[in-house]
Amino acid sequence: MGWLNPAHTNAERWAYVFQRVTGLGILAYVVGHIGDTSFFVGGPFGSGPSSASWSFDLALFENLAGHVVLAMVVLIVVYHGINGIRLILAEYGILFQRSSRPEYPYRAKSLVSMQRHLIWVAIVAAVLAALYAGGTMSG
Amino acid sequence: MRESTLMRLQYATALLALVLVAVHLLMQGVLVPYKEALLFQRVLAVYRSAVDASLLELLLVVVLAHGFNGLRIILLEWRQGAAWTRSVNWGTLGMTLAMIAYGTRTVVLATTGAVG
Repeated sequence: MGWLNPAHTNAERWAYVFQRVTGLGILAYVVGHIGDTSFFVGGPFGSGPSSASWSFDLALFENLAGHVVLAMVVLIVVYHGINGIRLILAEYGILFQRSSRPEYPYRAKSLVSMQRHLIWVAIVAAVLAALYAGGTMSG
Repeated sequence: MRESTLMRLQYATALLALVLVAVHLLMQGVLVPYKEALLFQRVLAVYRSAVDASLLELLLVVVLAHGFNGLRIILLEWRQGAAWTRSVNWGTLGMTLAMIAYGTRTVVLATTGAVG
């Protein structure tokens, strides 16, 4: 589990660790979400759209705890999406500078400020989206 | 498939998922109010629209392919070995197909099933 090691870290490394952790979180949510939405058709043994079964499913997360979880899902999905754009741009060498011989103080010169700003864009957008989601669900 | 092909597939599904998830979230609480989006009749209307149901099915396939391939990458980086690689590759492929099958069943029943 070397990727979780907090030693030798910079902002990009933390962004990468968060990308993986949020990815695993989203996958867990997606699997659960495919399970819960199947109650629209009566669950695993259902045969078609069922209003009663759907009401049962909604009762599971239409409460404060459920809304908090959903707001957290919005938070990690928005972060994962925007940071993912940054990673694809990085992969194809856009927004990054050519690496060069290390010189004191040995900061990686390829990591220009623009892509680092994008990490903050991802974090701020994720927090705002989660706050919006919390507001729209409780309102 | 070669790992380089799979990585390109990961970026392609990422870009597709970006659009599809954005649309999904907008329809579940921004363009359509959250409470309204969860009403039984409203959800039924979404499934009974060919375009919306197709988008949901596409979202299902793209997000699962991206998610389980991501899990595969993390697991293969965690441990190495021929047997481990084989189990992880087949295991994640199996889970992807099983979840696609279960989700597709929901879409098909919601689209064509008798309303009860």
